[in-house]
Amino acid sequence: MRSKSKLAPWLFSAPALIVFCAVVVIPVVWTLVLSAYKWDGISPMKFIGLKNYAKLFTDYTFHKAVLNNLKFMAISTTYQFVVGMFLAMLLSSVTRGRNLLKVIFFVPCIISTVALSQIFIKLLALEPIGVFNVVLSALGIQPRAFLGDPATSLYTLAFADAYKYCGIYMVVFYSALVGVSEDVIEAATIDGCGWLRQFFYIKIPMIKGVCGMALVMLINGTLKSFEMPYVLTNGGPGTSSEMVATYMYKTAFSSMNYGYSSTLAVFLLLECLIGVSIVRKMLPKADIE
Amino acid sequence: MKKSISLPVRMVLYALLILFAIVQVYPIIWVIISSLKDSQELLYSASYALPKRLYFGNYVHALKMSSIPKAFLNSTIVAVLTLGLEAVLACPFAFALSKLQFKAGPKLFSIVLMGMMIPTFVCLIPMFRMYNAMGLRNTYFSLVLPQLGFGLPMSVYMYKSFMEYVPNSLLEAADIDGATTWQSFTRIVVPMVKNATVTIITYKFIYVWNEFTYANTFMTERTMKTLPIMLKDFAGEYGMIEWGPTYAAITMAILPTLIIYFFLSKNIIEGMALGAVKM
Repeated sequence: MRSKSKLAPWLFSAPALIVFCAVVVIPVVWTLVLSAYKWDGISPMKFIGLKNYAKLFTDYTFHKAVLNNLKFMAISTTYQFVVGMFLAMLLSSVTRGRNLLKVIFFVPCIISTVALSQIFIKLLALEPIGVFNVVLSALGIQPRAFLGDPATSLYTLAFADAYKYCGIYMVVFYSALVGVSEDVIEAATIDGCGWLRQFFYIKIPMIKGVCGMALVMLINGTLKSFEMPYVLTNGGPGTSSEMVATYMYKTAFSSMNYGYSSTLAVFLLLECLIGVSIVRKMLPKADIE
Repeated sequence: MKKSISLPVRMVLYALLILFAIVQVYPIIWVIISSLKDSQELLYSASYALPKRLYFGNYVHALKMSSIPKAFLNSTIVAVLTLGLEAVLACPFAFALSKLQFKAGPKLFSIVLMGMMIPTFVCLIPMFRMYNAMGLRNTYFSLVLPQLGFGLPMSVYMYKSFMEYVPNSLLEAADIDGATTWQSFTRIVVPMVKNATVTIITYKFIYVWNEFTYANTFMTERTMKTLPIMLKDFAGEYGMIEWGPTYAAITMAILPTLIIYFFLSKNIIEGMALGAVKM
């Protein structure tokens, strides 16, 4: 439909565009500008060029945060992808109770991170002993303070995060798997292709476009992860589970170092964009279903 | 087709599925069970045991110790404003993009879609300064505005893909009958994309209701806090001593989402899964 006036499409778009500019575009540009200044929010801003960026190379906490974030990304992405796929495979192979099970698997995704974190803190506690440690000692494994121990805090955090969100990818993979044409599977079955081989040789290759998309979103999501790390461990103990986003947040709102914090924000933005485009390049082109 | 799976294999599949189902909901069940134990039981009985008798005192204490009803109200107001405005802004924009051919459309759409990749923290400091200067901190708008802006890309995307199913011939017919663009939009398009509106609003509700970062940054006044922040404060203040009321507070905070999820799980799951792979 061609609109009668040239103005009409703009009138329909204007409210959304104004809000988008005010909330997203202007602040992003502002952050880019701020990253070249030294500013504590009170005294006048001081232009220091790229000094904040140079500081990134010598900041030990920042290096630690990047490394932690990459480990976090690797663990959480792998868990969500593998468990999501595994559950989707199981779910698409049974008929009765599919929907109920799907709804149940999805429950952690809809619970607020704060609430879930508080529950995890209690379940994983050593003093008083939480359920998780009770189970471990019943299995003959030494219970420990998973969140309080620098050796395990990062891994525990990554698993907690993955646990919360794996339901989303289960649903994504499930819908894709169910969408695979029955004819293909029928033919494979007649040729004697078993249940497991059907997945690895036929179904999963057929949904690789969806898998690629999921991988991109997982990597993007885990690189900028903030809520769970902030609430569950707050980067601690020490800096053992510090993420780039939590470090950025603390630099801004605890140390009041707005300039350097903006630099960290720009790093995070670039890391997400570059990370995603690398993964996209490596993946086969998503096929349109 | 499914008959090709033999009975023993099917038993194993179900066993695994049920095991995972238990793992996925256990934390929620556990906190609800624990919130019904009195302090003696919480202290001396095993943490996984069922309560010997149901004790509701924790809920009474939790309500007395905190401003849960006020936080509940704040969360509700923020959710209603955000979701309402989101639909009001996104729907006409998607209409202009998909039905009114205008040159700048595709370019604008791809710019807005890029917003999906931007981490929200990148904007946190400028937002903080802006809202501070405009006196918006500790008002509902400091939570509504950012969620609105960052929510737009996804909503516009979803509306636009639904509008592809609205036949152009329908709009052309309306045009010939003398309907204005605005009339075509409100009388034809809006009713036809009602399902999109329902899906967007329900799945966004979950995100808005659970939103943490903005609320933690912009709402510092006690009376303005939303449920997640109230819960965080509550746990920080009493979590180590008053276990029972803490569990009760957690249960009360997650109950609304669980109830809504129970009724609208299909829309919520669909919306969140779509949001996870489309960009």
